[in-house]
Amino acid sequence: MVTELQSLRYTPAGIPVVEFRLAHASERAEAGATRKVNAEIDAVAFEAQARLLAGGKLGRLLKAEGFLCAKNRRSKKPVLHVTNIEFMEGN
Amino acid sequence: MWRKENGNICNAKAHPLRMRVLRIALDVPVAKIFEYLIDGATPVEPGDRVEVPFGARPRVGVVVEIAAASSVAASKLKRVERVLDGAPRLPAEWLEQMRFLSSYYQRPFGETVAGALPARLRSLKPLPKRAKSAADNASEKAQPPVGGHAPNPAQARAIESISVALGAFRPFLLHGITGSGKTEVYLRVIAQVLARGLQALVLVPEIGLTPQLEARFRRAFPSSHIAVLHSALEDTARTHAWLDAARGDASIILGTRLAVLTPLPRLGIVVVDEEHDASFKQQEGLRYSGRDAAVLRAKLAGCPVVLGSATPSLETWFNGGAGRYTLLTLPERAVPGARLPTVRTVDLRLESAENGLAKQVLEAISARLARGEQSLVFINRRGYAPVLACESCGWAAGCTRCSARLVLHASAERGREPGAGSLRCHHCGARENVPRACPTCGNVDLRPLGRGTQRVEETLAVLFPAARILRIDRDTARKRAALARTLDGIGRGEGDILVGTQLLAKGHDFPNLTLVCVLNADNALLSTDYRSAERLFALLAQVGGRAGRREQPGEVLVQTRYPAHPMFRALMRHDYAGFAASQLAEREGAGFPPFVHEAALRAEAKKVDSAMMFLRAAARLLEVPASVQIYDPVPHLITRRAGVERAQLLLQSHSRPALQEFLRLWSAALPASSSSGVRWHLDVDPIEFD
Repeated sequence: MVTELQSLRYTPAGIPVVEFRLAHASERAEAGATRKVNAEIDAVAFEAQARLLAGGKLGRLLKAEGFLCAKNRRSKKPVLHVTNIEFMEGN
Repeated sequence: MWRKENGNICNAKAHPLRMRVLRIALDVPVAKIFEYLIDGATPVEPGDRVEVPFGARPRVGVVVEIAAASSVAASKLKRVERVLDGAPRLPAEWLEQMRFLSSYYQRPFGETVAGALPARLRSLKPLPKRAKSAADNASEKAQPPVGGHAPNPAQARAIESISVALGAFRPFLLHGITGSGKTEVYLRVIAQVLARGLQALVLVPEIGLTPQLEARFRRAFPSSHIAVLHSALEDTARTHAWLDAARGDASIILGTRLAVLTPLPRLGIVVVDEEHDASFKQQEGLRYSGRDAAVLRAKLAGCPVVLGSATPSLETWFNGGAGRYTLLTLPERAVPGARLPTVRTVDLRLESAENGLAKQVLEAISARLARGEQSLVFINRRGYAPVLACESCGWAAGCTRCSARLVLHASAERGREPGAGSLRCHHCGARENVPRACPTCGNVDLRPLGRGTQRVEETLAVLFPAARILRIDRDTARKRAALARTLDGIGRGEGDILVGTQLLAKGHDFPNLTLVCVLNADNALLSTDYRSAERLFALLAQVGGRAGRREQPGEVLVQTRYPAHPMFRALMRHDYAGFAASQLAEREGAGFPPFVHEAALRAEAKKVDSAMMFLRAAARLLEVPASVQIYDPVPHLITRRAGVERAQLLLQSHSRPALQEFLRLWSAALPASSSSGVRWHLDVDPIEFD
């Protein structure tokens, strides 16, 4: 689910970028129990994925695929670089 | 024998059968005057241009002397092809000026002479013809009154002092605050010079930047022939202007530094406006100071020279203090009621400046917008951002030919469409596309760091959507005519917010401008160049001086992290004299000009090691007199420029003659530039060290 969404911007080379925040909620098996999973992570998407997200509503459910990468040289905080998006039905 | 016959040749002045020896300056890079023969019948004098055979092709030379004899056997000398006419003979006084410049700036005489002539006079092509227009014959006598306000008491005193000095050499320093009406003083003195039937030479930093000044001269002297001379003129126009000046047809010569090299048969006054400006120093070929050449010129012509500035160079101020120049002061603004603007610093340590503009600054701009007044946002850096960087790995876009960063430029139009930007090198002019991704780590999200005029313009357009924003920098002002129109428009009140570089700082008079905001003054404060404080003070006083030139008071806001810096304190008090005194004390203590005289030997090579090696060898080449000090060679701060690596060494001396004498011997002893893959030049009284 998208919980924060910045407006679409362009890199100096003209590539569209959008920065956003994703929230995740699910249930997973862990050490013999079923536990609730909650997490949030900063994310970024480029080009087609950026355009798909841009201007959309918050709270949409989606399936995101991508990789983790440090925010920058100073902060090793992971950012999810979304390379594929699938919006869930019914949104 | 040739030698024995000489006496006769001289006495029998133009015996048709006897040959005479002409000593001729040719445009070749050796310190040598060439000798040729000419028959006795052809009329020829020093200052004539002649066609001579030289190597494979004929060349144009200038006769500097008709010699009694040659040290070479006459049979070895070639004959002059013909004496060129069409242009006036170069006067003795002009040749004397060339001799001085050649010897002082250590450049071969022939090259000095050739460099001072427009291209057409150096070529064998016939001079361009022009029908004489009515304006050329305009009478100089019927001068209308100059117009404008009656001079205030300080202006009147300055006009009077210069006027009584007409007819003899005397240097004046006209120190007038911004908007104090220096131009009015020039105009009124020039009117008197013209009334005597003499010529006036007026030097300005950059003619393209001062179209208002030219227009003002034309309004003041509608019936006078004004010749405009600058390097951007196309060949024919420049030749015509030069010829008009040299023939004495033009009574006012308005131009950049090169105008000081024009022969003027009836020179009655020399004016150097904004005399502190660095553009008066030529940075290639004959590396002369247009200002110093102007003083020499006036001396040779026996007329006054007026150096005008709100912030004189410390050299000139020092000369004024030492009594070598007569100091004239204009302490008040010329328009009655107009005052110098209030100058305040905005402390960036206390106030965050989102997008580079502090809240105070934005509020001040809002207030001007509400009152229908103009604001100027000054940032001395063109382009979008000075650095394009990768925040993931630390890469920054650099020039392949220079040791410098590439500057990010957005596409020309505002509301930029994505992807049209480019990277440009401000040192060599190289231009490339913005890379899609970091070449080191592949990160696509490259970031512009810092701010240039384009980015500030973009920010202001978002913050003040209803305001008319005009950006004026070298990118928007490629065409002189377009710039002149824009500046004219601003003068009439077009544009609410002006974003500009130092193009906007110089001399312009914008009546409706009441606010000047300075964004990146700190860069210059942190420079290692001992002239940087002097230059920053001059620049800020100049740009601040654009504000409040009429009845409405002006305000200047300077964003800085160093509000306590003495330079800002002096600026706030409008205390040039105090600032100059403290700078001079520092220079004296540290042993910098004007307390010592300097020269730089610079070397350029493929690799900086070769340049350094050359300089080390050069330093040991001759015995250096005790009165001259040679420092160790150092690479330039920007070592590599346009594919060439550079290093320099500095010489200092308390004695100008001692330094000059050493330079003369030294430049003769240094190997020719081409020999070792190292090119060198000497810069006497250097002002740039980067």
